[in-house]
Amino acid sequence: MHVQIDQITKTFGTLRANDAISMALDGGRIYAILGENGAGKSTLMKILSGYQPSDFGQILLDGAPVKFATPADALRCGIGMLHQEPLDIAPMTALDNFILGSPTGLLPNRRSARRAFIDTIKRLGFTLDADAYIDTLTIGERQQLEITRLISLGARFLILDEPTTGISAGQKEQLFETLRDLAKHDGLTVALVSHKLEDVEALCDHVFVLRAGKLAGDAPMPLSPAQMVEMMFGKCIDPEPRPAQHSTSADVLRLDALRVHDERLTMQKVSLNIRAGQVVGLAGLDGSGQRAFLRVCAGLEQPLSGRAFLSGEDVTACGYHERARRGVAFAAAGRLEEGLIAGLTLAEHFALAHGAGRLRVDMPAASAQATAQIERYSVRGRPDSRIETLSGGNQQRVLLSMLPDSLALLLLENPTRGLDVDSARSIWARLLARREEGTAILFISPDLDEIVQYSDRIAVFYGGRVTVIDDPSSLTAAQLGQLIGGKAL
Amino acid sequence: MGEAAAFTAALLIALVLVCLVLLALGKDPLETAQKFINGALGTENRRADVLTTAVPTLLCASGLLLTFTAGLWNIGIEGQITMGAIFASALARGVTDTQPNLAILVLEIFAAALGGMLWALLVALLKTRAKVNEIFGGVALNFIASNILIYLVSGPWQAPGNTPTTAPFAAGALFPRYEAQRLSLHAILIAIIGFAVVLAILNGTHFGLQLRAMGRNPKSAFLLGVRTQRATIAALVACGALAGIAGAVQVLFVRGRLITGVSGGVGFLGVLIVLLVTVRGAWVPLVTLFFAIVPVGSNALSISMNLDSSLGNVFQSALVLIVLLANGLCERRRTPVP
Repeated sequence: MHVQIDQITKTFGTLRANDAISMALDGGRIYAILGENGAGKSTLMKILSGYQPSDFGQILLDGAPVKFATPADALRCGIGMLHQEPLDIAPMTALDNFILGSPTGLLPNRRSARRAFIDTIKRLGFTLDADAYIDTLTIGERQQLEITRLISLGARFLILDEPTTGISAGQKEQLFETLRDLAKHDGLTVALVSHKLEDVEALCDHVFVLRAGKLAGDAPMPLSPAQMVEMMFGKCIDPEPRPAQHSTSADVLRLDALRVHDERLTMQKVSLNIRAGQVVGLAGLDGSGQRAFLRVCAGLEQPLSGRAFLSGEDVTACGYHERARRGVAFAAAGRLEEGLIAGLTLAEHFALAHGAGRLRVDMPAASAQATAQIERYSVRGRPDSRIETLSGGNQQRVLLSMLPDSLALLLLENPTRGLDVDSARSIWARLLARREEGTAILFISPDLDEIVQYSDRIAVFYGGRVTVIDDPSSLTAAQLGQLIGGKAL
Repeated sequence: MGEAAAFTAALLIALVLVCLVLLALGKDPLETAQKFINGALGTENRRADVLTTAVPTLLCASGLLLTFTAGLWNIGIEGQITMGAIFASALARGVTDTQPNLAILVLEIFAAALGGMLWALLVALLKTRAKVNEIFGGVALNFIASNILIYLVSGPWQAPGNTPTTAPFAAGALFPRYEAQRLSLHAILIAIIGFAVVLAILNGTHFGLQLRAMGRNPKSAFLLGVRTQRATIAALVACGALAGIAGAVQVLFVRGRLITGVSGGVGFLGVLIVLLVTVRGAWVPLVTLFFAIVPVGSNALSISMNLDSSLGNVFQSALVLIVLLANGLCERRRTPVP
C-alpha cells in the first residue's frame, strides 16, 4: 500500500510536536523513522495510527485521502500499529485477545477464530499457544500475538514502535524475517521506529529522520550508524571509551545460596558478592529469572530460600521500604506503571519521594528540587508539568533523577529504555559518577552492547542457572549473545 | 465545557426528569416545586431541620473525601456511624443529669469516634491482611453492626414497652439545644472543624499527597516510598472516627435516643456527595446543604401533596447519575496529551 503523509502538523499548547511533516512510503519496503527523544516520533505515530487527530495535513492511502477518528478506524483503513508496550489484556488468553476487535457479530465464533489464528501464526512463522494466558507470555510472544492480530484484521501498513526491546535474539531474527516476508510477498509497507541503529542497518531500506518536530532528512540505505547519528543530532558522537575498573574491598551485597522463584523456571541457588563501586550487568532472555532476581534484591519479592546481606547486615527479612532506608534503590522498567504517577506534577513527585517524615508539604522546596534535577538531567519539562505530558525518554530521566544521592546499592531494570544514544550516554555518565562515590549498581538490559560496555562483571541468566563472568574485558556482544542463548563459551 | 456549566446542565436535566415523573403521577410540577421549597426553607424550624440533616452528612462526606482520594470505597461507613452511635449510647444510658453537661458530651463524642474507628479498623485489616475488598468487608460489617443495634435496642437496652428503642436519654447526655431553634451550634461547629481539618490534610500535608498518589497509582506510590498499607489503615480509621462522631450527633441530638436505623442513611448520602464532587473537596459543604434540603423538602411534600418522600431520593440519585455521565462525556472529548 502506498502511504503519503502530507504536511502533518500537531501543536500542544506552545509545543509544535509535528511541523508540516511530509513523507512518501511505498508498499513492499521497510522504512525506519529515527529521531532523538522529543523529536516528534511518538506524536506522528499516534496520528498515523488513529490515536490522535492532527491539527493540519492529511494522509493518503493508495492515493485516496483518509480520515479516521480511532485506532479501530485506522485499522479498517489498513493501518496497524504495534506499540512499545503490547496492548493486550492480561487475564485473558491469547485466543481471546486475538478475537478482540474483530467484527464477528454478537457471539464470537471461537472455532473459526482458532483456525484463523493457527493459520496466520504458521504463515508468519511464529509459535504461540492459543490458550496461554497473556501474563505467562514474554514480551516477544505478546508482540507476535499483536502482529498476528493486526495482519488478520487486514493491516497493510504496519508501524512498529521500538519492537526489539525486551525480546530475544532468536525472536528478533524471526520478527525481521517475518517483516521482510510480509513486505516482499504481500506488499506491506512497514515503518520501524527505533533507537537501535544496528537493527535499522539490518532491516530497513530507507530512513526518515525527525528532528525537533520537522523532517530533518531522508536517505536510502546503506548508511553507517555514524551517518545516521549525524542526521539525528547534526553532530557525530564518538563511541564512549570503556570506563576503568573500579572497586574497593567493601562488600555491599552478599547473596548466599539465594533461590529465586520464577513461575516458569526452577532457579538454582545463586551466591554472589558485590563490592562497592561495582557495576554488574544482568543479561539473559526475557523470562530467564533476572527480573525476579533483581526484585528479590530490592525486597519486592521473597526468595524461596537463602539469605541476603547488605554491608554485613542480614536483610533477608527486610521488605522494600526497610531496604530503602539502608540505601537500596530500585527503578522499574515500566515507568508509568511502576514508578511514576500520571496526574501528578514533577514537583509533586519530588515532594512525595523526598518529603516523608514531615507533616506539611513544602511545595516551594519540592519545586526547587525539581528545577535543579530538571537542569542536571536535561529534562524537557517544567516542575508544574504533569508527568504524563512528558515524552517517554524524559519520563525516564525524571525517574532516574528522583533516586536519592549516595546510595549503597542501585538496582535498575532497563535504565536507558526509550532513550536515544545521546541521552543514554548522559544517563550512564550520571550512573558512573555514582559508581565513583561507591554505589554498587546491578542493572538489567536487553541491549548487549550496553551490558558489555558498562559492566565490571556480567551475570548471565539461562535456563535457571546464573553464570558470572568476572572479567568481561575481552568479551564481545556477539559472544555474550551466544552465552545468553545457552551455548557455553 | 466549564465545570460549573456542566453541573448546571446536569441539574436541569435531572429536574426535567423529575417533572416528567410528576406529570405521570398527575401532579403539577410548579406547585410541587413551590411546596418543596416552602417545605424545606419556609419556616425557621424547617431551615433548622436542613442544617440538622446537613451536619452528620458533612462529617461523613469529609471522612469519605479522605478515603475516596486514596482510591478506597468506604461503603462500610454506615456501620461505622452505627457503632459510633452505640458507643455514645453506652455512656449516655448512665447519665442522669437534667442539665446539658459538656464534659459528658466530650466523653461521649470520643467514645463514638472510638467506636467508628474500631469498626473501620476491621475493614482496613480485612483489606490489608486478608486482601478482602473494602466494599465487601464494609457491606458485611454494616450488616453485623445493624444487627448488633437491633439486638441491643430489642433486648438489654430496651425501654419498657415493646418498641425497639432505648428510653430517651437524660438532657445531661445530649447536645445543648437552643429552645427557640432546633439547632445545635456545637454540632455545627464540630462538622465545620472536621471538614476544615480534612481539607487541610488533603491539600497541605504529606499524608494528603500520599493518599492522592495511592489513589492514582498504588504500585508507583509504594515504589516511591509510600507505606501504602499504613496509609490505607490511617485513611479508613480517620473516616471511621468522623463517621462515629456523626453517629453521636444522630443519637445525642437528632433522635435523643438509640433506635434502629439510627444512621439515617447519612453515610450513603455522603458517598453520593463525594462521587459528585470527586477531587474538588471545597465544594462539599455546598453540595451537602443542597442534598440536605432534599429529604426535608420531600418529607413536607409527602404531607402536603400526597407524594411519597422517596421522590426526593429519585431526584438526588438522578442528579448524581447525570453528573457522572456528563463527566464521562467531557473526558471523551478532551484531546489526549502527547
